[in-house]
Amino acid sequence: MRLDTRRTGFSLEAPFYTDPSLFNLDMQAIFGQHWVFACSVAEIPEPGDYVTLDYGPYSLIVLHNDDGGVNVLHNVCRHRGARVLTDPQGTTGNLVCGYHSWTYSPEGDLIHASAPGEMTFDKSCYALKRAHGKIAAGLVFICLAEEPPTDFHETAKIFEPYIAPHELAKTKVAYQQNIVEEGNWKLVMENNRECYHCDGHPELACSLFPTWGLTDETIPPHLEDVWDRNQQAQASLEYRCRRYGLPYEVVEELDTRVGGIRISRESLDGAGESFSADGRRLSKKLLGDLPDFRLGRCSMHLQPNSWFHLLGDHVITFAAFPISASKTLVRTTWLVADDAVEGVDYDLETLTHTWKQTNLQDKAFVELCQQGAASPFYEQGPYMKSEYQVEAFINWYVQRMREHVG
Amino acid sequence: MRSSAVPALPLAQRVRGLEMPWNRVLSSASEPAGAATALGPWHPQEFAAECVETIPEAGGMMVFVFRRMDGAPLAFRSGQYINIDFPIDGPNAEPVSRSYSISSAPTEPWTFSITIKRDPKGKVSPWAHDHLRPGTVLDMLGPVGAFHLADYDRRARFLLLAAGAGITPLMSMIRTVHSLPGQADVVLLYHGAAPDSFAFSEELDFLANVDFRIKVIYCLGDRECGDEWEGRTGRLSTSLLDELVPDANGRQVFACGPEGYLNSATELLRTVGVDDTSVFMEFFSGDREIRAEYAEEVAIAGEIAEEIAATTEEYFESQPAALDMYEPEYDADGPVEAVGAPTEAVDAEAVVPVDAEVEIEVVGVTDENLAEAGPDSASDAGSTVPAGDGAAASAGESGDDDEIAVVDPAALPTVGQGEHTMSFVRTGLNVCVGEDETVLQAARKAGVKIPANCQEGMCGSCKVVKLDGDVEMNHLGGIRAREIDAGKFLPCCSTVKTDLVIDA
Repeated sequence: MRLDTRRTGFSLEAPFYTDPSLFNLDMQAIFGQHWVFACSVAEIPEPGDYVTLDYGPYSLIVLHNDDGGVNVLHNVCRHRGARVLTDPQGTTGNLVCGYHSWTYSPEGDLIHASAPGEMTFDKSCYALKRAHGKIAAGLVFICLAEEPPTDFHETAKIFEPYIAPHELAKTKVAYQQNIVEEGNWKLVMENNRECYHCDGHPELACSLFPTWGLTDETIPPHLEDVWDRNQQAQASLEYRCRRYGLPYEVVEELDTRVGGIRISRESLDGAGESFSADGRRLSKKLLGDLPDFRLGRCSMHLQPNSWFHLLGDHVITFAAFPISASKTLVRTTWLVADDAVEGVDYDLETLTHTWKQTNLQDKAFVELCQQGAASPFYEQGPYMKSEYQVEAFINWYVQRMREHVG
Repeated sequence: MRSSAVPALPLAQRVRGLEMPWNRVLSSASEPAGAATALGPWHPQEFAAECVETIPEAGGMMVFVFRRMDGAPLAFRSGQYINIDFPIDGPNAEPVSRSYSISSAPTEPWTFSITIKRDPKGKVSPWAHDHLRPGTVLDMLGPVGAFHLADYDRRARFLLLAAGAGITPLMSMIRTVHSLPGQADVVLLYHGAAPDSFAFSEELDFLANVDFRIKVIYCLGDRECGDEWEGRTGRLSTSLLDELVPDANGRQVFACGPEGYLNSATELLRTVGVDDTSVFMEFFSGDREIRAEYAEEVAIAGEIAEEIAATTEEYFESQPAALDMYEPEYDADGPVEAVGAPTEAVDAEAVVPVDAEVEIEVVGVTDENLAEAGPDSASDAGSTVPAGDGAAASAGESGDDDEIAVVDPAALPTVGQGEHTMSFVRTGLNVCVGEDETVLQAARKAGVKIPANCQEGMCGSCKVVKLDGDVEMNHLGGIRAREIDAGKFLPCCSTVKTDLVIDA
């Protein structure tokens, strides 16, 4: 392990992608210490609604409580360790373990355990263990650390003005896709942080300018027309944003803060409304109080495990949940206005088509890299200029790991 | 006197969107109160109305104000029209029938007005201008038309396009918006032939001045205009739209005017990115085809009116379920914006109580009214009762299933002792039970399988659906209020109050 002598601008050494003991360290240092994106409020809209999340060795319950916040509980029964809730999502009052019916309140207190003959059994010692939960602009984050990183509220302050106008609390889940990629979670994130490979995304390239990450200097000849179109579209998007008071400026602090973030509002090709072949809207109901469908995409990258696209008509959230050194669950969730009617205001297949295809293509790319990292002949490769965000992600990761190893 | 001024609410705290006043009454009362019934604008009626006032308007138009002879308010949706019989050839001849948009707001329903432009070559409009006076009584049919504001609109962002006399139904919409609270954003782009041809301009100017939600733009087309003209010029065009309403893309468009104007508007709106489904048009003067469509609509309205006249009570009972109305939900802070589902049946009679003597119909389609409303609304309103026999038991799981199976609790074998009977329709067994025994205890004793863990109302594992009857439940958090509302209960902590029918 070479955390102290990492070669800047190059991919990590192979064990970071393949070694189970390094994976365990990732789980402790990254997922055990930082704010991690869990779900949106649309997935747990009402009190009692919950999702269960697994990553690495952790299993958690994220429960919408009666106060409008979230309770985050370790999904490990204090009796014999069984999973308390086994469904990926649902609604519950109290939480009852299916093994011996130990029953916990939504706050995690053990409120019922039949204990024949046990006169001294003290229920108050056996509450479900709790973790930190936080909702910001309709996004739910959890943190397992005893003392979570304190700069997250600053990160939230950055993204709230961008996200809030989409009013996630007034959206509903139109579709959720879970795919397991045979790749290390860092490869999943690296792949997401660049568009150098976007030639491999024909569906996405209809509406997403493939010039993402490029500049006047780095634009290749074959993309010059697209670049011009992109510049024009961006100018008119920014004009509209100023009219409506929507922020669009790029804020990029991916490796300069613990709560690493990049956010911006960027133009889309074609009609500029959504991820469709012609850029037109995919749902007919505008989100929140937005005045116009032509709002491009507000894109956010958060370290360590999530990225988001917020459009006028729908929102897509992406979360990576590591399973093992070479396996990652990628969860994609499509949100539409909660009064949009399937088949009337949107067609589910059309709504999800572009990113379903893109996800499958990305899965293949990630898996190619995972296979390569396992080869004895794998050697670190250089990140290109347009891949500066990959470098930022790895730099963030290495900093966090160094801090943890101390 | 207040000692200090009350600050205005920030925009974000205004009621979201627009909601028509009748909407809430209709969705909250199973039997609409008399006035609300009269104001539920969901069906055309035949009625006689007396002209009470005539007001000359600019552009050769005349406003005729009416009140119904029966004293009732006129219920309609903003933008609709009425069909009027004009006795042009005398009281004994066949009257001439014409449709006119209502220009007044349904929120002031005790009188209503239509606005007629004099067409020297026309048959009806000169007669109306010359002979229709206060005291004249006319036969009418209405309201008619699908060109109207929604009963509830969470995104009340409108672009109103009017040309000439096309202002009439849009005037009703603007007056309606102004009369209601809530967030709204209305832009009226009003084309006229000459500076002095804009009907209602003084009122429009006033409304635009006092109501920040309303913006009015006058436009003279490409005609000559004097130096004094302060409005816009130029035909409707994409550049005009881009300049005046750059966010047209996110608005619903209501357009009314001559056919050529509307045809060009259709194309232009497409070009600036307005979705076709967001565009609503009323052809004010049309070709033969459009007139034929009007005639057809009025004929249908007439049939409905007759039907209602014949069976008023039945009709009212059946209506709410069939309405395609949208209703907001309410909490302590006012309307909750999470809405969009068509209003469910509010008919308290919709779910037929289960009686031991009566057969239970499965799948909730329990009477004719609901059957007419379609399987979706039926499954919302009704209950799902799996049948006792094996064949229908699985079908009973789905409320959308079209099959209707039947179980008769009286035909099931009965065991146990007690003053009340619990019918377990899935198991196919009646179990008698006393008031001191929990439902779970009695059921288990009789061999009915209900999974249960804590047996203290905490874990919720015994949760079942109650199809009929009342229980007294003392749970400890194992069930949520909305589950109880949905008919579920916990047998482990419940005793019976009446006979029960249980989906287990």
